[in-house]
Amino acid sequence: MKSIFQTLPQVILAEFDSAHSLVSAAKKLREAGYTKYDSHSPFPVHGMDDAMGLKRSPLGYVVGVMGFTGMIGMIALTYWTSAVDYRFVISGKPYFSWQAFVPVIFAITVLFSALGAFFGMLAFNQLPRLFHPVFNSEKFSRVTDGGFFISVQADDPLYDRGKVISFLESIGGRNVEVVDADEK
Amino acid sequence: MKFDSSTYRFTEPGKLGKIALSAGLVFLVISVLGYFQDSAQFFLAYITSFMFWLSIALGGLFFTMLHHLTGAKWSTVLRRVSESAAGTIPLMLILFIPILFGLHELFHWSHPEVYDPASPSLDELLKKKEAYLNVPFFVIRAVIYFAVWFLLSHYLTKTSVAQDSGHDDKLTGQMRRVSAPGMVLFALTITFASFDWLMSLDAHWFSTIFGVYIFSGAFLAIMSFMILVGYFQRRRDVLTDVITVEHYHDLGKLTFGFIIFWAYMAFSQYFLIWYANIPEENYWYLYRWDNSWKYVSLVIIFGHFVIPFVGLLTRAAKRTIPYLAVMAGWILVMRWADLYWLVMPTHHQGGFHFSWMDVTTCVGVGGLFVWFFWKRYTSYAVVPVKDPGLEASIHFTNT
Amino acid sequence: MNVSAKELSDSSTQREILVLGNPTFEKITEAVSRIVEGKPTRWWYALFSISVLLTIMLFANLVYLFWEGTGIWGLNNPVGWGWAIVNFVFWVGIGHAGTLISAILFLLRQRWRTSINRFAEAMTIFAVICALLFPAIHVGRVWVLYWVFPLPNQMGMWPNFRSPLLWDTFAVGTYFTCSLLFWYVGLVPDLATLRDRAKARIKKILYGLFALGWRGGNRQWRHYELSYLVLAGVSTPLVLSVHSIVSTDFATSLLPGWHTTIFPPYFVAGAIFSGFAMVMTLSLIARKVFKLEDIITTKTLERMNKIILVTGLMVGYAYSMEFFIAWYSGNDYERFAFINRAFGPYAWAYWIMVSCNVIVPQLFWFKRLRTSIPVMFIASIFVNIGMWFERFVIVVTLSRDYLPSSWDYYSPTIYDIMLLVGSFGLFFTLFLLFLRYLPMVAMSEVKGVLPQADPHYNHGEGG
Repeated sequence: MKSIFQTLPQVILAEFDSAHSLVSAAKKLREAGYTKYDSHSPFPVHGMDDAMGLKRSPLGYVVGVMGFTGMIGMIALTYWTSAVDYRFVISGKPYFSWQAFVPVIFAITVLFSALGAFFGMLAFNQLPRLFHPVFNSEKFSRVTDGGFFISVQADDPLYDRGKVISFLESIGGRNVEVVDADEK
Repeated sequence: MKFDSSTYRFTEPGKLGKIALSAGLVFLVISVLGYFQDSAQFFLAYITSFMFWLSIALGGLFFTMLHHLTGAKWSTVLRRVSESAAGTIPLMLILFIPILFGLHELFHWSHPEVYDPASPSLDELLKKKEAYLNVPFFVIRAVIYFAVWFLLSHYLTKTSVAQDSGHDDKLTGQMRRVSAPGMVLFALTITFASFDWLMSLDAHWFSTIFGVYIFSGAFLAIMSFMILVGYFQRRRDVLTDVITVEHYHDLGKLTFGFIIFWAYMAFSQYFLIWYANIPEENYWYLYRWDNSWKYVSLVIIFGHFVIPFVGLLTRAAKRTIPYLAVMAGWILVMRWADLYWLVMPTHHQGGFHFSWMDVTTCVGVGGLFVWFFWKRYTSYAVVPVKDPGLEASIHFTNT
Repeated sequence: MNVSAKELSDSSTQREILVLGNPTFEKITEAVSRIVEGKPTRWWYALFSISVLLTIMLFANLVYLFWEGTGIWGLNNPVGWGWAIVNFVFWVGIGHAGTLISAILFLLRQRWRTSINRFAEAMTIFAVICALLFPAIHVGRVWVLYWVFPLPNQMGMWPNFRSPLLWDTFAVGTYFTCSLLFWYVGLVPDLATLRDRAKARIKKILYGLFALGWRGGNRQWRHYELSYLVLAGVSTPLVLSVHSIVSTDFATSLLPGWHTTIFPPYFVAGAIFSGFAMVMTLSLIARKVFKLEDIITTKTLERMNKIILVTGLMVGYAYSMEFFIAWYSGNDYERFAFINRAFGPYAWAYWIMVSCNVIVPQLFWFKRLRTSIPVMFIASIFVNIGMWFERFVIVVTLSRDYLPSSWDYYSPTIYDIMLLVGSFGLFFTLFLLFLRYLPMVAMSEVKGVLPQADPHYNHGEGG
């Protein structure tokens, strides 16, 4: 357990009082050149991706590839089972009755896309990750209630504890706090 | 063409109307010459073209009512286009009259002898439908359909334009209240009109989904038409800041959605008939597949579904306006092809048959349609200037 | 009457008030979480006990059914499909409203959905569980149920992919999985809320485990939001496809009254109609019992009633098309099937169906009636009854087939009835457990539609 904690960096947290100030703070961090920081909120805040300079999530490609795989796989399966391995005339229809296979091919395409969207999201977000330094902050529990936070991680190239603290305070952050991974 | 962007009015509507009117008249006259060459073909081509342009008008009526009913904000800036498209109903009524002269060429059931027990051409099956499929009732129904469409489109456009001169937000509520029962009437009339004018071309065949299928096509037609009208204006620097890329994006999304919806209706109908394989109904597909009509069928499967589906799948496709306009034009061509595929094989069951009249009637009716549409569209402000939702519509963004 | 351009443009960016009383984010958390954290009321215990008893009855019946076989049901020779298929279609249909609310209304940017989507989705999942029960037991020999899956086996056989019953397996299986994923993805931020509020260690561990370590970071939200959007996107065609495929169980046959091309969209409209009625019934109860009047507003209920009216009209349209085309087809068997429906031995069921599904929703043309809680409660129950009867009417079309000598009247046995009632028990048991242990309103989504969630909200005041 200890080793997992140690691989995670130290984090500096600052609280902000509204979605509006969170967006402008995130923008200022980006302009100052920080890269390993994140803004935490109880709900997705509009315009935050632009403020943090994040590109559109690549999840769509994962979903596309998964859906396509499911579709091809199901076409292959119906072809193999009905027209090759177990040929049987049923209600006078051709062995490979593509019309009759459309429902199942469609269903599996959708199923694979949905699985792609779910597991792709988990993978990109590196979830589940049950331990993270931010959870060592008492105040941070408010992020799932009504709190807005910015966290700056210690592995940021510009990381300098003193500078980060004063910078966060200068852009309106309150209760700035340094959280160590193995505080508890 | 001159446009005053402070009042949102065309001060000078340009040459479009004149060009369309003269093209329409010239091509209709040429088509009438075809009547003397092959009158049956003339009427088949004519009813295809008529249904194609009528579906844009009906789509416009539907879109206008849908806009009022849902209280959608984004579509306010587009409403004048759909209102004016629906405003062509009086013209379509006049253009319907020639069909009445071609009933015998078009509709087998209109021959009295098929109902005459003494006649050798008695059709036992049709005899059972005589109460519905007869000329007087057919005409009465057509009058009812046009009356409903005219009253609805007339009332909605009139009220909408009246709102322009004052600032009466109550009118918005009035239009909504009329649209609700209007929708019910619309659903019934477009269904029975499609039964009468398309399905009964092959009077033995029947399908419960047919009305919904035609409706889904009409909705696609008005979507494409609105994209094209928007793009036409945009090329001339009209309404560029009002109908923004966000509106095209939404139109693109709806078009994409209805491409799927149309395919769903088309597939449901085909699939169930294919699966059950009952001779009384499967023959309708067989004469569209077991001969050279097969290629038209394939064109529709790929051109009406696969190409627009793939072509409109991405976000970029819906937000690149010139590209979207090309897709819209393509979909309109495919709408025509779909109606062509519904009409022509009924009388050319042996195989694909193309006539020059198929094109000339379409341009002829279309010329008059565009002329009438443009005349109405430029006769008032091209956006509902005093609509309470206008500002929100202009600044609308997709999130 | 003079509205300046400034005011107009302000109103354009302003959001409609969806939650009454202008609450803070914390108040939303409190209002929803307290239901899960507090002690359940006596009402909850009472309802839960009844539901559990009914569920026990269901399982007892299942044991007896497996022991004796489907002979305990009222099936007879022409009616080889009885209540099992009626209940299956009924429950699958119920689920569709949840998917429509969570997926389609999301894509259409209907923000009002946030107050009802969570438990509508839960309803979907539980309804699909009840639905899956019936085809499973209806095969008779449940121990060979795995034959429906394409598994390589010693017999060298594969399932028949040309059979609508097999399509059902794939369609409903996919539907269940996608609904579950969608529901769970939506739950993750709210589970994190419960994790952060939990006092007891066991709760902290359990909620923490299922919250997956959610931190609410924007780098997470951006993938999360797209994932949610994609799940909404793939669930949208499912709203159309699942019940369409269910309809093909009937419509691919050669039977008059079953084989008609409008069946797929007609079933879909009916499914949404019945599902909305069920959401209505449940939300009216939940709103009253848990005092959520400010979150599930009358305005939201009114909008749902409008959807019930629209889908009810669509169902009415389908009924009339079927009738008209049966006549128009000129086919005597088609004509007879419909005359028999309306005036034959099951006319009573047909007219219950028409009254409940077509006549009752017409009340919602009037604003006073569609905003009246008692009226909508009673109407929603009538619609539920009517939609069950719709499937019953379709199934008992079998009772008079092509061969008059085999005509027979179908009536259910006590076991049929106990299985249906028991499935309601199972549904409500699951639903009450959900209300007790999971947030019934999507907190993070409701917070997202509050005016102060908009980063432009306090423009000018400075951040």
